[in-house]
Amino acid sequence: MTSPRTAKRLNRILAMLPWVIANPGASVDEVCERFGYTRPQLAADLDLVFVCGLPGYGPGDLMVAYIDEDEVVVELADYFANPVRLTPPEALSLLAAGMALLSTGQFPGALKTAVAKLQKAVLDVDEETVVVDLAEPEFVAELRGAAASQQVVEIEHTALATGETTTRSLEPWLVFATLGNWYLRGHCRLAGAERVFRIDRIRQVTVQDERFKSPETPPTAEVGYTPGEEDVRAVIRLGLDARWVADYYPVEIVSESADALTVRFSASDASVIAGLLLRLGRSAELVEGDAVRTKLEELRRRILDRYQ
Amino acid sequence: MHKVIERILNLLAFLLTAGRPVTADEIRTTVAGYDQSTDEAFHRMFERDKGLLRRLGIPLELAPTDGWQVEHGYLVDPSAYALPDPGLTDEERAALWLAAEAVRLGGQVGAADALFKLGGAPVTASGEPLAASLNDGSVDLGTAFLAIAERRQLMFDYRARRRRVMPYGLVHRRGHWYLVADDEGTTKVFRMDRAEGVEAGSEANAFARPAGFRAAEFIPETSWEAGGEDLEARVFFDAEMAWWARRQIGDNGRVEELGDGAIRVIMPVANPEAFIGWLLSFEDKAELLEPGELRDRLVERVRGAS
Repeated sequence: MTSPRTAKRLNRILAMLPWVIANPGASVDEVCERFGYTRPQLAADLDLVFVCGLPGYGPGDLMVAYIDEDEVVVELADYFANPVRLTPPEALSLLAAGMALLSTGQFPGALKTAVAKLQKAVLDVDEETVVVDLAEPEFVAELRGAAASQQVVEIEHTALATGETTTRSLEPWLVFATLGNWYLRGHCRLAGAERVFRIDRIRQVTVQDERFKSPETPPTAEVGYTPGEEDVRAVIRLGLDARWVADYYPVEIVSESADALTVRFSASDASVIAGLLLRLGRSAELVEGDAVRTKLEELRRRILDRYQ
Repeated sequence: MHKVIERILNLLAFLLTAGRPVTADEIRTTVAGYDQSTDEAFHRMFERDKGLLRRLGIPLELAPTDGWQVEHGYLVDPSAYALPDPGLTDEERAALWLAAEAVRLGGQVGAADALFKLGGAPVTASGEPLAASLNDGSVDLGTAFLAIAERRQLMFDYRARRRRVMPYGLVHRRGHWYLVADDEGTTKVFRMDRAEGVEAGSEANAFARPAGFRAAEFIPETSWEAGGEDLEARVFFDAEMAWWARRQIGDNGRVEELGDGAIRVIMPVANPEAFIGWLLSFEDKAELLEPGELRDRLVERVRGAS
């Protein structure tokens, strides 16, 4: 296996050459900016190109590539006049990224035509064969704007696990989407700590005039639940129909057999696990966890009362 | 690293200009960088270099060197090698760069590698406080994409059965990648993160996509709309949770205001199991009024939980 660094370097050389050939007289700065080179890196790559070419490998067979004052010169390299076609993962990742940002409704003006051109080039169809839909809940746009301009927001938020609604002041750092949900990460002044909120559970947003300073290290775009000391723990046996739970929640697998998966589950509140057990019905079974069992019985009683 | 890059540039220059299939032996004796090794060392080196070329997206093919098909050689067709120029402007490239910075598909692919091929773009931090991950754990989206783009058959294991389908489209919705494909005459939807051993067929243009095909139409917006049943449910939501219900139902139901903040909703249900699961997330703040059969199933689910 060749190292990924070699592959990346070759990829950049095979992309830079066609561009320089198509744009004679290009300046070093322009090539560096466009392809993410430093001047010494570019010079080193041109030196490599200079000693390569066609069999015979004499003058006239080798490519010519050097920096002349401030100009990048490439000659006798016409076989590299075209960039290499995109690999399927490359084409998909670029197209999907463009489509995803378009679906949020807030994007640079040129993105729409960029995606259309790319789609035509790599899929060669006008039909909608690849679709990315990030369906934004209400307030994503406001929160993105507030995070960009570093303005404090006041939010009204309902925690679904407890049903508790609070109003809090927040320094919004990052708006992110993962596994189909949108989240806001920021410093919560009510908690006096960093918090992540699901945006579809925010019921009201008011952007304040007050500005805040963003953290030095970029915030991470992950929900990143880490079990804490006070968390409720339970062991659950998942039947075949409920195995997906292990893919969706940060569980620890205790044992596995052909027809069941036993997992250790932790959550900040017993009602999260009890609610899940209720939804799973007969396809799951609580093996261990008294707090969860109590909560489950209470939930069951409340719901059945309603349906009497 | 220098030696590898020089060798590959020489090999590629040779293959792009040869205009005919060239054998491994000819490469060994002609191309600079391959000459001084033993048979075994040459073959190992050459195998590695072929892998690298393919990883870069270079279409390296094996073809007979003459009509007798006795000998085979390597060929890179310059027209298959070249990226069809999409004609992007600098603004469009910068917009794609911004999108690729904010949205990640996961895996090894860097958006920069792809953008360089398209002519590069000023590589800058976006400054946009937005991040989206389209990664749902699917490992073979690239193969599915290739099969869709080139209309090749797609084979994969799904629910303990090997499938061979005609892939029509790929949709990312609600956090998952779905494949829309014709499976033995029926258009079906598969979750890509549950597909294993994904392989594309060897023949391109193996089928025609239905005219006017729109992949998104096959992926319902809510989980309870994805199913084979055709029911209509009437549900009551308490004032406390009505906002949450409305938000999730969107345009997929008829909402009746009951004055005190509570609502009654009439909504279509295609997947009763998913629907009951969703309703139970409201605990006792919702009540499934009709149909009675669905109501019984919900009660049964609640009694059965253990």
